[in-house]
Amino acid sequence: MQKIQIKRKECTLDKELLELTGNVLSSNPDIYTLWNIRRDILQLFKKSNDNIEEMSQVYNAELHLTEYCLKINPKSYCAWHQREWVLLTRDDPDWQKELELCNTYLKLDERNFHTWDYRRFVVSQCKPSLKDEFDYTTEKLMDNFSNYSAWHYRSKMLVELYPDRKGGRPIEDSHHKHELKMVQNAAFTDPDDTSAWFYQRWLLGAVKTTIDLVNYTVTPTKNTFAFSKHVDKNYVSAKTKLLINNCVVNGEWVSCTGNCYDVLWIFQHSTPITKKINIKVEYEIDNGQKQIIQGVECKEMFYIGKNQIKFERNYSEAVIEELKDQLESCRQLLNLEPDSKWTMLTTTIFLHCIDAKAYHTEAIQNLQKLKVIDKLRAGYYDDLIAKWCIEKQLCSDYENADLALKFSFPSPVSSLPYLQYYSYCDSVDLSNQQLTSNIFPSLIVLQHCKKLSLENNNLTTMKNFPDLDLVELNLLGNEKLDRNEIELFTKKYNFNIIY
Amino acid sequence: MMDEDFPTDFQVIVVGTGMVESIVAAACSRIGKNVLHMDSSDHYGGLWASYNFEGLQKFIKEVNSDPDRQKQVYNLSEKWFIEKESAQGETTDENKGEPRKVWSQADFAAEYRKFNIDTTPKLLFSRGPLVELLISSNIARYAEFRCVTRVLTWLNDQLMPVPCSRADVFATEAVGIVEKRMLMKMLTSIVGYSEEEMNNEFKDWNNKTLKEYLTHKGLTPNLIHYILYAIAGGNNSLPCLEGVKECKKFLMSLGRYGNTPFLWPMYGSGELPQCFCRLCAVFGGVYCLNRPIDKVETKTVDEGKTVVTIDSKSKKLNCDHLVIGVHECPEELMSSEPAESCDISKAVFVTNGTIMASEKEPLTLLRFPPLADDDNAVTVLEVGPATGSCPKGLFVVYFITKKTKDAESDLKPYAERIFDMSGGDQTAATDKPKCLWSLFYNVKDTSSPVSSVVDNVHVCSGPDAGLDFDRAVEQAEQIFKKICPGEEFLPRAPNPEEIVFEDDVTHGPEFQREQDEEAEPKE
Repeated sequence: MQKIQIKRKECTLDKELLELTGNVLSSNPDIYTLWNIRRDILQLFKKSNDNIEEMSQVYNAELHLTEYCLKINPKSYCAWHQREWVLLTRDDPDWQKELELCNTYLKLDERNFHTWDYRRFVVSQCKPSLKDEFDYTTEKLMDNFSNYSAWHYRSKMLVELYPDRKGGRPIEDSHHKHELKMVQNAAFTDPDDTSAWFYQRWLLGAVKTTIDLVNYTVTPTKNTFAFSKHVDKNYVSAKTKLLINNCVVNGEWVSCTGNCYDVLWIFQHSTPITKKINIKVEYEIDNGQKQIIQGVECKEMFYIGKNQIKFERNYSEAVIEELKDQLESCRQLLNLEPDSKWTMLTTTIFLHCIDAKAYHTEAIQNLQKLKVIDKLRAGYYDDLIAKWCIEKQLCSDYENADLALKFSFPSPVSSLPYLQYYSYCDSVDLSNQQLTSNIFPSLIVLQHCKKLSLENNNLTTMKNFPDLDLVELNLLGNEKLDRNEIELFTKKYNFNIIY
Repeated sequence: MMDEDFPTDFQVIVVGTGMVESIVAAACSRIGKNVLHMDSSDHYGGLWASYNFEGLQKFIKEVNSDPDRQKQVYNLSEKWFIEKESAQGETTDENKGEPRKVWSQADFAAEYRKFNIDTTPKLLFSRGPLVELLISSNIARYAEFRCVTRVLTWLNDQLMPVPCSRADVFATEAVGIVEKRMLMKMLTSIVGYSEEEMNNEFKDWNNKTLKEYLTHKGLTPNLIHYILYAIAGGNNSLPCLEGVKECKKFLMSLGRYGNTPFLWPMYGSGELPQCFCRLCAVFGGVYCLNRPIDKVETKTVDEGKTVVTIDSKSKKLNCDHLVIGVHECPEELMSSEPAESCDISKAVFVTNGTIMASEKEPLTLLRFPPLADDDNAVTVLEVGPATGSCPKGLFVVYFITKKTKDAESDLKPYAERIFDMSGGDQTAATDKPKCLWSLFYNVKDTSSPVSSVVDNVHVCSGPDAGLDFDRAVEQAEQIFKKICPGEEFLPRAPNPEEIVFEDDVTHGPEFQREQDEEAEPKE
């Protein structure tokens, strides 16, 4: 090794150095530096050598070395990378040979993700028939469906090969159904094999989604716009127009957190907001159509526009039928194996996907059961419970004109998704949950909140409390909070703090 | 031909080259015993032999003309379904673009050498005692094997593939989704039981059948069919624990070499006794074919030792131990305990296609559940040209069952289900392959162990109706233990390259140790 280092320092990048590094790498392929040196040497050779045949041989020798190293360690990042480099550098790459190499390696170990990754690289270069690649994954899965890489690769092919152009969905119906059936076969043959379940979750999530403007609040002091997903400034300013008395208002968009992407945007303009004016927002959706959201004066000079919201995924009839079918089988399987975590979870997700409203109670009960069966992931189930309960509550809250928010959960929660949907609320009651101080940053979206109650939670510190325009903050029942810290906090802000 | 200075005294004489006899011969020779191995025929294998087509014709003639032979093999009947001579030229099958040969009896005669037809066809379980023995003794290198590619059953009046492995269960469309779960669950739990757990789980099922157990567990009729008939290879009355053990045997052998638990020897089961004979010879065993025996006597010599003497073609051969096939053994030497036996009905067919289409040439095990109430289950083995059993374009199909009436009556109804036995135009498109030639015969069941009246005469049983060689291996080992107590049974024989001679001579370059651990079946 010393010799190598000396030579490198002296910049004698020659055949001898190639030999030395080759010998060392043959016993230990994972010394990244040596591969680096070799690349330097090869590049030097290329510069000073016009002979294509000679360079070809040099490259072939390099490939040979990588193959040897891969025999020792088929998961060597360095060796695979070197191979990739050679293929990209040389003028005469043989992609077919590379594809065959992948096939050979995948025969030896069909689950080596390095090989699958390399395959993606090769495919991106030589572009063989996607259908052939897709069929290859089928072949591999038929041999052994316990193969996360194959399912993953398949998902990439599926979306490229069979998109639903007419319906605008990522996957065409009959294929979506076929995949759901295939993955169900895997899941039932061996419910403990997680790769199938993950693919199924992906399939269920492979639907068209939209970015919605969910609400806006216009007051003399602040104008906030809440979105269903994180968006950037260009998106907001292009798609959203505020109209006061039918005149477009010009202004500046500022994210409420200061980040590039945000769910809550603040619109700064100089048009005065008074009583009884006509406030409208024009929001451009996917197909170029414009939604008009009418503002309602809920309090004096306090205008709120709430959009139609829905959380149901947009499945086609055919897929819903398939899901109902599979739900039946899941129920049968649950009868046989009531403690099977994956079956229970999938049943629950199916219920939610088919009809979240109708099956809400059953789904939540299942999630409670899952917390017991699958103790290690109790937190995940808790978050899911919070999410689905808020979704349900949002649907009814958006129908009424209430400005106060109080959550009703079956048991205390520790996470609060969708808070931006409630950005218009002036009174927010988050008491009697299991919130920790980690919740603070997300509270920034409660831009119009005046009264906030965090009574009876698990707060430990006041650090990172968001800059809100509060009148009252209730911190009672948070035993771990340090009195001194609260006192300092009180001095900083001039709103009423109960503790 | 034995000449005058041929030795007449051996430690062990083995008469008959059937499977049990051959394994014993090899084992004795291997540990240094002085062995003479004889057979009255001109070929190896005895009742376990395989024949080319000419040899088979000779066998049929011999049996039909010799009442003595008919004590072992009877009701032998051969039938041709094709013309004696070839018609003009070949007809091209339009659909396939390949010429589909029209076979005549003359063609069979011309290609007689390409046939290797077994009288006792059997499979090897990939993790069964025979494979383990072949590997541990290194006798495996004398033979090649192919994997059985599929297991079929007869269900709802048609041939159906049996899903045995996880990949099969995943891919099959014949089984509903919840059924898949039930099947996998049952199979995984069976494989998972240790001996103790198994006895525990099934202790209340001692007097019940496997069928009752599976029904009790809520399995659907289709699943019960697969497990009971195809995997356990049983019938409705198969006792529970025995059935579960059969299932476990099947499942444990899955995946070792291929997608099914079974191997088939290249050139047929008749190769296997020969492999053991070869080992015997390598370690000094002497071989004599065409040597019938006339008389066997036992004599007590000094020190109370008993010696066995054989009269053969006017030579007197002496040995300490005589190992003799049940068919060769004089009756007076065998104890007359009535043994439970059930004769075997067998059939061999030559057809012009496989019973179920397949991409690559298949090697099939088909298990028929009984078609009529009083029937026994029927085992069918279909082997093709790639196994060296027949010329290209043909298949050899073996049927085995326990005798109810006679071979033809027992087996014809099953054959008719999967073959077209009408003769006629070979090129006509049919959904079943055409049967070109058939042979039915019954075999007396001599598989029960027989004890001899003398301690140092050991009687080797004949073939049983079962699918594998396990009983033969077991019996051979028992006999060996009696002859050579305390000795190792077929320890690994070194490869020639491994033998290093320790001399006072300068050593040449080191021989490399051979790495092969297992017999490698051809794909």
